[in-house]
Amino acid sequence: MTRHLSAAEISEWMVGTRSRQSEDHFHECAECRGELSRLQDTLSDFRASVREWTHEQSAAAPFPVWRVRRGYGLPRLRWALIAAATVLLAVIPVYRANRHQPKLDSSLDDAVLLEQIDEGVSRSVPAPMEPLATLVSEDSPAAGNRTQQKK
Amino acid sequence: MEPVAASGFLTAGFDNAATELDDFDSVVRLHWPVVFRFALASVRDRDAAQTLTQDCFVHAWKARAGFRGSSSVKTWIMRIAVNLVRDHARNRRLRFWRRTTREALDISVAGGRLHDGTVSAEQRVLIGEKVREVWAASGSLPERQRTVFLLRFVEDMDLLDIAAATGLREGTVKIHLFRALQSVRERLGATK
Repeated sequence: MTRHLSAAEISEWMVGTRSRQSEDHFHECAECRGELSRLQDTLSDFRASVREWTHEQSAAAPFPVWRVRRGYGLPRLRWALIAAATVLLAVIPVYRANRHQPKLDSSLDDAVLLEQIDEGVSRSVPAPMEPLATLVSEDSPAAGNRTQQKK
Repeated sequence: MEPVAASGFLTAGFDNAATELDDFDSVVRLHWPVVFRFALASVRDRDAAQTLTQDCFVHAWKARAGFRGSSSVKTWIMRIAVNLVRDHARNRRLRFWRRTTREALDISVAGGRLHDGTVSAEQRVLIGEKVREVWAASGSLPERQRTVFLLRFVEDMDLLDIAAATGLREGTVKIHLFRALQSVRERLGATK
C-alpha cells in the first residue's frame, strides 16, 4: 500500500477500527505514524487541560454538604407532611365559605316573621279555602239585594 | 428477567457492588470529581454542572437498591450523569426565549506536557492553540457525539463502558466517535 492513510482511516484508527491494510501501512510509513502521534498528543493535552481546568473550577465551587440522609431519608415524615397539607387544602375552602356567608340582621328577621304571622291571623278563612269563600260571597242573597238596590 | 445466581461465584459481583454502595459517602467522594468534570465539560456552566452533579448522586442514592452490579459503579453513575446532561441540554433548547447573560466558560490551557520544563515557549503556544480548537470543536458537536467524545478522550473510558453509560450499542458509539473525531480534525486542520 503506497498511498497514505486518509482522514477517515486515521479517525477509524483512533476509534479502534483498523483494517489489515491500514496496519501494514502504519508500520511502514513514518509520515502516517507521525500524523497519528500528533493527533494522540493533541487529545492527550486536551484531556490534561480539561482535567486541570475542571479541578480549578471545582475548587472555586466547593464540595457541597451531602444531605441525602437528612433530606431524603425520612419517608414517614414526608408522608405525614403530605397528609397534613391535603387536610389543610380540604378544610380551607369550607372555612372560607362559612366566613364569607352574609350575616342576616336578627331584627329584620323578626319583623318579617311577625308580618307573616299577622297575615295568617287576619285571614277570615284558611288560604286554601279562599277561592270557595269568594264564590259563596258572590252567590249569597245579600249580594243579590245589593245589585237590585243599585239598579 | 433477573439472572439466577446459582453459586457464590456468580453472586460475588452483586455482593461487591452492594458492599460498595453501602458506603455511599465514599462513592460520592470517589466519583464526584468525575461526574462534575463530565458535566462541566458538557454544559460549560459551573453552577449548572454543580446542580447536575448533585442531582446525579441524589438519583443514585434513590436508585441504589436497584443496582445489580451488571456494570461498575462508575459506569452506572456515569449513565445517570449522561441522562441528566442530555435532559439539561433539551430543557435549555426549549427555553430559547430565556437568554442568559452569562457566557460559556472557556478552558484555561494547562496540565500534562505544559508543566513539563522540556516544552519550549513556542511549543506551549501551539499546544494551547490546538487544545482551544479541540475545546471549541467539541462544544459545537451534536449532543451525543460530544458525550461520546468526552467519555472517550477526557474520561478515558473504553467503548464498552461508553456503550453501557450511554445506553447505545458499541457500533453506534463507534459511529458517533468517528464523526466527532472527523469534526475535531477538520477544525484542527483549519488552523494549520
